[in-house]
Amino acid sequence: MTSERIQHLDRDHAHYLLHQMLRVRRFEEKCAELYQATKIRGFLHLYIGEEAIAVGAMGVLEPDDAVVATYREHGHALVRGVSGGSIMAEMYGKQEGCSRGRGGSMHLFDSETRFYGGNGIVGGGLPIAVGLALADKLQNRRNVTLCFFGEGAVAEGEFHESLNLASLWDLPVVFCCENNLYAMGTALERSESDTNIAIKAASYEMPAWTVDGMNVLAVEDAVRKAVDATRQGGGPHFLEFRTYRFRAHSMFDPELYRDKAEVAFWRDRDPIKTFTELLKEQELIEDGELVQIEEMVAAEVEAAVAFAEGGTWEPVSELTRFVYSDGSGL
Amino acid sequence: MIRFLSDDGTPTGDLPLSETELLRGYRAMVRGRLVDDRMVVLQRQGRMSVYPSFRGQEAAQVGSALALEAGDWMIPSYRESCAAIEHGLPLHQLILYWRAHPAGWHFPQGLRLLPFSIPIATHLPQAVGVSVAGRYHREPWVAMTFVGDGGTSEGDFHEALNFAAVMNAPLVFVVQNNGWAISVPTHKQMKNTKIADRARGYGIPGVVVDGNDLVAVWYAAREAVRRARAGKGPALLEAVTYRMSPHTTSDDPKRYRGEDEVERWAAKDPIMRLRTALEGRGVWDDAQEAELRRSVKAEIEEAVREANASPEPAPHEIVEQVFAEMTQDQKWAWEALRDH
Repeated sequence: MTSERIQHLDRDHAHYLLHQMLRVRRFEEKCAELYQATKIRGFLHLYIGEEAIAVGAMGVLEPDDAVVATYREHGHALVRGVSGGSIMAEMYGKQEGCSRGRGGSMHLFDSETRFYGGNGIVGGGLPIAVGLALADKLQNRRNVTLCFFGEGAVAEGEFHESLNLASLWDLPVVFCCENNLYAMGTALERSESDTNIAIKAASYEMPAWTVDGMNVLAVEDAVRKAVDATRQGGGPHFLEFRTYRFRAHSMFDPELYRDKAEVAFWRDRDPIKTFTELLKEQELIEDGELVQIEEMVAAEVEAAVAFAEGGTWEPVSELTRFVYSDGSGL
Repeated sequence: MIRFLSDDGTPTGDLPLSETELLRGYRAMVRGRLVDDRMVVLQRQGRMSVYPSFRGQEAAQVGSALALEAGDWMIPSYRESCAAIEHGLPLHQLILYWRAHPAGWHFPQGLRLLPFSIPIATHLPQAVGVSVAGRYHREPWVAMTFVGDGGTSEGDFHEALNFAAVMNAPLVFVVQNNGWAISVPTHKQMKNTKIADRARGYGIPGVVVDGNDLVAVWYAAREAVRRARAGKGPALLEAVTYRMSPHTTSDDPKRYRGEDEVERWAAKDPIMRLRTALEGRGVWDDAQEAELRRSVKAEIEEAVREANASPEPAPHEIVEQVFAEMTQDQKWAWEALRDH
C-alpha cells in the first residue's frame, strides 16, 4: 500500500471500514458461541480472517448491483445490508430469517439487496452470477455482478464454463476468488497444477490481478478498478485475493492438515489488527472512538440474537411449501 | 502452427518421417476414408443406425493414433472411428458398434480402447484415470484421448486438464478443432479460439498443428507421447481441421454453413495433400493407388459380411455389460427379458 493512499484516507471512511470488519468478526464470534450452545445447528463456516475482502468489495457497489457468494457468506450478507437480525434468525431456523429459516447458515438470500445467496455447492454460484450479468446486459442495465468463490471452486467444471461464457459474451461480472489456500483439507498445490490462479483467467482473455486480501484498502482499490472498468463495458474481470481463514473449515473440521506456525504467521496479518494499528499510527482513530465502534457492534449483535430468540418456528404443516412455486409470485 | 505440407501438399522442407512411415500413414488414411464412405452408404440403405462421419479428419486421427505404441490406451469420442480402427478395432466390430449390436463392444482381449463416448467430454476425466492407472499396474502406458472444439466448453474438459496436470498424468489430449460444434461455430463458443492457449492455465504444453497435415500431426503427437512416457506429464494438442461431412447422418449442415466454406477445405484435403507429397518423391503412382483401394474395399466387404453374419441380439443383452457384475435389479430385468 502506498503511503499516498494512506495520506488520502478519509477519517470517516477509515472508521466505516473498521466498523464493518468488526461487525463481521464479532457477529461470527457470536455464531461460534451459539453453535456450541446448540442454538445454531447444521453447518457453520466462519469467515474470520477474511473480512477485509467482503468489506473492501461491498463498499464499491451500487444498490442495484448484484452479489453472489458461497457457503462462507455471513460477512458478505451483513456488509451488503442484510440485517443482522434476519441473518441470525436464519441461522436459528426461524421464520423471520432472510430465507424463512429454510436455508440456514449456507443459504442466506435477500432479493431486496440483490444478494443472490450463499450456496452449499462448491462453484454453484458461478453460473448463477453469469446468468444475472447476462440478464442485466440484455436489459441494458448498467449493473455489475460480484461473484465470490473459493480457490477450491477453481477446479470445478462450472468455473471453466462460467468464465468462458462471461468472456465470450462480454458480461458485466467481476469474479472474486477468495484464495485461502485450503479447499477444506486440500492444500492449493494438491488441487491445482498452477497455483497462480489469476493466470487461469488469461485463458479467457480476461484482465486479472492478484490482490492482498488481508489489506482492506488494497481490496477496495482493486475492486473499484475492476467494477468501474466492467461497468463501462470493459467485460468481465478477475480478482484473486490472497487470504487465510483463521478458523477450521467448518465446525466439524479437526484441522489436521496445517500446522500451528502457519496459522500464527497469518494471524499476525489479521486484517482488523493491522488496519487498527495503521489507523492509530496515522492518528486516524482514538482509543475512545475504537471503544465506541466496539460498543455499537456489540449492541447490534446482541439485538440480532434477541431477534432470533424471539422468532417463531415454522409449523410442520408448512413443510412442503416452497418446494415448487405455487404460482403466487408469477 | 506446426505444418510440413503446404495446402497443395508440397513439402515446406525436410519431412521428419521416413518413407515407410509416410506410406503407412497414407494407406491408413485411405483405408479410413473408404470405411467412412461405406458406413454412410450402409446408413443410407437402412443397414446402420446414426453414424458420425469423420471425413476430412483422417490426418488428425491417423497421425495421433500412429503415435501410440503397443500397450498404450485410447479413449475416443464418437467421432474417432478412424483413430479406433487404426488402434486395432476390427472393422466388423466397428460396423456392429454403430449398429448398436452388443457384439460391437465386446472388444478383443488386449485391445486397449474404451468404447466411443457419446456424451460430450464426459470421457476426459475417465481418461485421466486410465492414464494414471498404469502407475498402479506398474506398466508405463500412455493414454490418448480425443475431444472436439465443442467439448472444450464443457466443465469436464477443465476438470480433466487440471487433474491430469496436478497428477502429472501420462495423457495426451487431442482436440480436433473442426470449426463446428454441430451447428455452433467456434467463435460463438469461446473468445480466444486458439484452444491450445488453454493449456497455459494448467501449466502444461499446448501445441497447434495443421490437422490436415498427417506429417505434422504424427510428429507433434509422437513428441507429446514421448514426453508423457518420460514422466513429463500431459500435453494438449490442437489439430486444426474441418469436418467435411454433416455432424452425423441425422444432420443437414446446409442450414448453418455455406458450400464455399466446405469447398475451401476440400482444397486442403489431407489425403490429397499427402498423395501429392508421395508422388513428388516418386514413391506412389496410380497403379499403387488402384491396388490399395481394391484391397481395402475387399477388406471392407469381408467385414460387412462378417457383421451381417452376427446373430440378431436378444433383448436381454441390453442389460449386460453395464457393470462387471449385474445388480439384483439387473438380474431380474435380464431374466424377464430372456423369458419374454
